[in-house]
Amino acid sequence: MPEATDKSFSDIEFGEELPELSPDVSLENVKLFARSALMMASRFISHEKARESGLPGAIVPGIMSQGILVALIHNWAPNAEIHNIDTIFRAPLIVDTKPVANGVVTDIDEDSKVIELDLMIKNEKGETPVVGTARISL
Amino acid sequence: MDIEELKNEFTGHVFDKIDLKVEEESLVGYARACGETQPRYIDPEHPDFQAVPNYPTRIHGTRGLPKNFPIDMHRCFDAGKSVTVHAPIRSGDQIQGRSEIADIYEKTGRSGGMLFIVHRMNFYNQDDVHLATVDWRLVQREFD
Repeated sequence: MPEATDKSFSDIEFGEELPELSPDVSLENVKLFARSALMMASRFISHEKARESGLPGAIVPGIMSQGILVALIHNWAPNAEIHNIDTIFRAPLIVDTKPVANGVVTDIDEDSKVIELDLMIKNEKGETPVVGTARISL
Repeated sequence: MDIEELKNEFTGHVFDKIDLKVEEESLVGYARACGETQPRYIDPEHPDFQAVPNYPTRIHGTRGLPKNFPIDMHRCFDAGKSVTVHAPIRSGDQIQGRSEIADIYEKTGRSGGMLFIVHRMNFYNQDDVHLATVDWRLVQREFD
């Protein structure tokens, strides 16, 4: 992936798509997240334990999905200041899969200089278990 | 269950507080695991080193709902989180999270009624600077 450069407000176009991000949701990386966030629940770090509780496998913590969307924004615009990010967890995102994160510019407020983004994470089936919005400035 | 009564009784006041020291290792691990690559979030030597914006979502109070709230927390699921950033969270900050119920409302879908509870945590640092607001939407299906 080419290294992103800082952006200015005038660089941004309505409908612009953020470069796709392929996050690492391997069990090893989710364990790193879980340790850092003090969220060592077995449903996040053990496929076996998660299946015992009726899940299809270990699941990515919702707030890690939100963090992936934050990284998506910074990978597009390293200098982005995120004022608000709101995510909806529609379905579990499964550990050791290959999701992709996407975003698009949905509003540009010329007065406040605030930019709004729609964000999503898709799973391998093309479903969107995580959707969100963000308000940023540059 | 009368939603207005619930709102009147439980919204708008702090029911729990938690104190936490922000550790550098936690900030870096959290950011790196999410795929963050910007030095100000992953390099403690960066002059503007700080937490990624959604870092405070990892902090939970000592209880999810107020005492005597007539809903079992274990019957709720996490429908989403909203983070509003007011100021950066820094390594070494001694922060306090203050929990309140911000809103209670219901929606009716094809599968029946759903009760939404918005658990809000406001975070402040050692100088009482307001750092962030996290709204955690809890949902209980088939309530009555």
